[in-house]
Amino acid sequence: MIGVELRKLFGRPRTWVTIAVLNALPVLVAVLLQLTDLAPRPGEGPPFLSAVLTNGALFPLAALAIVLPLFLPIAVAVVAGDAVAGEAQAGTLRYLLARPAGRTRLLVAKLVAVIAFVLVTVLVVAGVGYVVGTTLFDAQPVGGGTSVSGTSLSQQELAGRSLMAIGYVTVSMLGVAAFGLFFSTLTDSPLAAALGALAVLVTSSLLFTLDAASPIAPYLPTRYWLAFVDLFRDPILWRDVVRGLALQGVYVGVLLAAAWANFTTKDVTS
Amino acid sequence: MAARGRGALARWAAVGLLVAALVALPSVVAALPADDADVPAAGLRDAVLASADVGFSGYAVSAGGLALPVSDRLTDVADLFSDRTLMRVWWRGPEDSRVDVVTAAGETGVHRDPGGTWTWDFEAATATRGAPAALALPTPPDLLPAALGRRLLSEATDDELARAGARRVAGRDALGLRLTPADAASSVGRVDVWVDPASGLPLQVEVFAEAADRPALDTRFLDLDLAVPPADVVAFTPPPDATVLPAPDTEELIAQAEERAPDVRLPGELAGLPRRTFEGVPDAVGMYGRGVTLLAAAPVPGRLAGGLREALTASPDAVTDELGTRVAAGPLGLMLVTPPDGPAYVLTGTVTLDALADAARRLPGAVS
Repeated sequence: MIGVELRKLFGRPRTWVTIAVLNALPVLVAVLLQLTDLAPRPGEGPPFLSAVLTNGALFPLAALAIVLPLFLPIAVAVVAGDAVAGEAQAGTLRYLLARPAGRTRLLVAKLVAVIAFVLVTVLVVAGVGYVVGTTLFDAQPVGGGTSVSGTSLSQQELAGRSLMAIGYVTVSMLGVAAFGLFFSTLTDSPLAAALGALAVLVTSSLLFTLDAASPIAPYLPTRYWLAFVDLFRDPILWRDVVRGLALQGVYVGVLLAAAWANFTTKDVTS
Repeated sequence: MAARGRGALARWAAVGLLVAALVALPSVVAALPADDADVPAAGLRDAVLASADVGFSGYAVSAGGLALPVSDRLTDVADLFSDRTLMRVWWRGPEDSRVDVVTAAGETGVHRDPGGTWTWDFEAATATRGAPAALALPTPPDLLPAALGRRLLSEATDDELARAGARRVAGRDALGLRLTPADAASSVGRVDVWVDPASGLPLQVEVFAEAADRPALDTRFLDLDLAVPPADVVAFTPPPDATVLPAPDTEELIAQAEERAPDVRLPGELAGLPRRTFEGVPDAVGMYGRGVTLLAAAPVPGRLAGGLREALTASPDAVTDELGTRVAAGPLGLMLVTPPDGPAYVLTGTVTLDALADAARRLPGAVS
């Protein structure tokens, strides 16, 4: 069933159009940066963007930081929101459930497909970022580069940490995917499910900037998203990375349980 | 149908229980009681003052609620006391340490060695070498609980100290030590220092303004490892592509400022606080008080006074009368004294606004 879902998702042209659109913004930023040579001032702009001018190999990280706050979660929310509600709207959910596989397995298969989408998207953004970064900017041929703490990183270390960052960003999106999937079991409208997941994200991002909300800040789904920067400090600052992974795990666990509780007893009429 | 309804109920009940357990978990962990120990207040202070050589590494957060009415030139200092500052620290000794201020998109690391400091700024890609100075503006390393706790307790007398229970800080049992300043002029209500009894390290420091329920400054460790960190983590070599800068010569700046300062004789006592000297403080600046109750007085040239008056009067809480303009930010008072004849003065310190007004009257040339 998982294979069927994966083929269905990646067989759709709109999946690839979404990934292409996601790559457009970082590429545009890279071209503008190359043409104007104007790096963001310290303390402004996405992480790593200032460092790209001296080391183009860092552009995959800057590209991830550019799409992470808004573009990537929107794409994930749309795909996850479509997972069950899309079938209901198209009138195909009944036929899917007529198979003996069971509703729980369908839910798991849908989640795995969304996770695969996130992973592919993040890998493509990072890959395109690497090609664009090393083509448009100077890459440091000897050694890998400088860590955020000012120490030298070898090429292997930089590559290893970049892979960890790609993994971390993928996991960070799982909370959004779980919200989208849960809302997708509540409604027959994919748009409503995607907007529901986005409403949660906007609320979380807004509360995170508010001092008055600091007691609940550690539990907000977007709280640890930028912690992938901590992987490039020396020594690595694991605290927020570990908390970010655990928090996404809790959101996925709870929302999947809620989706299961709702979906397995839902009257499917469409 | 009824069986299906019961099944749904059971499933939702299971999800509800899971959510309730997860939501309650942080509160249960936070409510774990801390072990108190029978250590007298003076003994705890002595342990704190002897802790400068204790090696450790950790992660600390300092949160300030002080909106300092200072000009644009001191934004770094103003941010330090009004924002949340996250710090990673590796401490091998007073002259061998590293403190990184961690921000979402970068970091600024201060590496101290016996010859001075290296300050690394990732986003600007600069490394600045500074020489040790007796007088310097506050920097993030000064706000570490361990450093701040030692500084604030360094002149506390036995009768100003009391024990204040125990609490969990950074996963350790910390003993409370409360400092209530004896000077009537003091604007500091109390300072609570939470100390690790085994090492003497302050784990949390809270500074309360008079009659305040919430601390004006709260700095604490979130993680702490009581092992001497390796030397190569603390040491620093500027990366090849960084811009290396010399630090501004503060001693030269202070000497120039002293030359330009109006020549006046400051009194031997202000607001009931006796004058004293600190290493590195120029003669033109009068320092008064002791412990956490300190007052500084300095004559300022007219141009500087104008800028300062503008900054002070912009604050809605500013009080302006015939003596000048004064404002309080938490326990910190700041006053620009503008006598009818003679130079203007700046008064600042951890004293009340009444004490500032009293001090202003005693300055040479002031309205009495």
